Amino acid sequence: MADLISYVIRKLLLAIPVIFLATFIVFLMLYLTPGDPALALVPPRHTPQDVEDVREEYGFNDPIYVQYASFLWRLLHGDLGSSVSAATTGLPVSTMIMQRLPKTLELMAIGLTISYSMGIPLGIYSALRQNSLGDRSIMVFTLITYAMPSFWLGILLMLLFAVYLQWLPISGTIGGLSSIILPAMTLGLGNAALTTRMMRSSMLEVARQDYVTQLRSRGLPEREVIYKHALKNAMLPVITVIGLDIGWFVGGAVVVETVFSWPGIGMLIVDSITKDDFPMVQGCIMVLAVFVILGNLAADILYAFVDPRVRLG
Amino acid sequence: MRPRRGLNNLLISWKASGGFKQTVVEILERGRRNGMVVVGFSIIATMIALALLAPILPMADPTPAQGDVDEPLLPPSTRHWFGTDNLGQDVFSRVIWGTRVSLAVASMAICFSLIIGVVLGLTAGYFGGAVDYIIAGTIDLFWTFPAFLLALAFAAALGASLLNVILAISISYWAGFGRLMRGQALSVRERQFIEASRALGAKHSRIMFTHVMPNCLAPLIVWASIGVADAITIESSLSFLGAGTPITTPSWGKMLSLGMPFITEAPWVTTFPGIVLLITILGFNLLGDGLRDVLDPRMKGMRR
Repeated sequence: MADLISYVIRKLLLAIPVIFLATFIVFLMLYLTPGDPALALVPPRHTPQDVEDVREEYGFNDPIYVQYASFLWRLLHGDLGSSVSAATTGLPVSTMIMQRLPKTLELMAIGLTISYSMGIPLGIYSALRQNSLGDRSIMVFTLITYAMPSFWLGILLMLLFAVYLQWLPISGTIGGLSSIILPAMTLGLGNAALTTRMMRSSMLEVARQDYVTQLRSRGLPEREVIYKHALKNAMLPVITVIGLDIGWFVGGAVVVETVFSWPGIGMLIVDSITKDDFPMVQGCIMVLAVFVILGNLAADILYAFVDPRVRLG
Repeated sequence: MRPRRGLNNLLISWKASGGFKQTVVEILERGRRNGMVVVGFSIIATMIALALLAPILPMADPTPAQGDVDEPLLPPSTRHWFGTDNLGQDVFSRVIWGTRVSLAVASMAICFSLIIGVVLGLTAGYFGGAVDYIIAGTIDLFWTFPAFLLALAFAAALGASLLNVILAISISYWAGFGRLMRGQALSVRERQFIEASRALGAKHSRIMFTHVMPNCLAPLIVWASIGVADAITIESSLSFLGAGTPITTPSWGKMLSLGMPFITEAPWVTTFPGIVLLITILGFNLLGDGLRDVLDPRMKGMRR
């Protein structure tokens, strides 16, 4: 247990510089915009006095490290600035993000569920019947869904299920529970392809190991060999990539939300980019980045629980 | 068949030369017996040929002037193979010109990523110690940060232009190459031939680039191929979201987003760019997967 605790503490400490990098990148974004950074932070209809006020408030006349420090200070107080787009001028960015966050989490949770509940069984099936017709069709399917960009997959699913078959609502959230199916499926399918391939190759590798042969030679039923003994070890690589999957899902959510007009953070970012609402873009990226970092951390800790070997590493 | 024999002789002499050239010959020899490599390579070669030939192919102008456009949303016909979009522009010609944009952006971005990743990873792995500590830490930071989000952040801040998209993808993608190179360098530097050349008085830079790097070439080539596929996905997603290529440049992602409002009455506007995009990404993935299988079976399943 002591090694597990020290592992968790080590991982927590390692997450701190990553969060700092995230804050620094978000801070830097403002200075990468062409022209005067103060202009990016004022509403479209502003007076020179407004620009001067922003310059004063954000301390653009101070040295850059002072600016970064005060940026961090505001961040620590949950202050992400306020929106500058015409419709929402002056509203705090953090409030707007908090309104949208549950929608994104909902989408990602269902997407992740679809991805694992499809990918893991398909991968096991493929590995157990290696080179059969079923295995080959699954491999071709994963190759194609993996190569397919999520926005096009979303458009195709929308065409099929919402336009031609009219089983599901086309976009937005009006359809209640049924309206989350298409976006979540779009998000889940691409990752299911990866999970399937990962599961398959890891299962194949474990099935070749001596202990599995030994179990078989002792006359254990094949079912027991696979599901009771081999699967436990074969799952490890799949669990390792859950952390990476979370990063992938956040990127995917931005695209999928835009395709299906799903009112989460992803759509908020894209809307804000088109409306030049710079503080909002910064705020969304900051929140999503922290979310991914914490997700990675959780996955690392989960991994240490299931595989005692990594605690020592 | 004189030139052919000449080529063979050249390849045979390369094969014996060791290092970089030997790897190239090995890839050619083993790759052509692998189905995935052959299919992937053929797709990529076709796409590159189309991209290069775009200006001389007898096609409609991809960005016609206001007066030159045809009727909007015409279905596919002999005159417009892929139909026309909502502005009356020829979809076929825009898809072909889009190939140029996608391939150019993705390959440039991967080139930059490779340069940054190889130089930093090699330095970290070869020198070790404090240098390694700092560089490996930086690599890990960028590796943990979600690539697409990072690219989106940079593209949104820098504004829509081809160079900015290339920069945004490079910044978000180099860490993978850095990790790979560092790991390889760490293991190669302990080998005896490195010690031997150090004993002969070779400079660090010479050992790094002529002895350590060629030994890491095979995995780099595999990952570069998969990287181009990823970069095409990122580029098209950014363009789809309106944060990528400038509005007038024909790009697959942009064509899909502009065609989306018309998917019911004119599905061809989104379908054709989507198919070509899928095939191109598939090509690079197949080449990468196939090369990985033939070059180093140990890397099987080590995707991402």
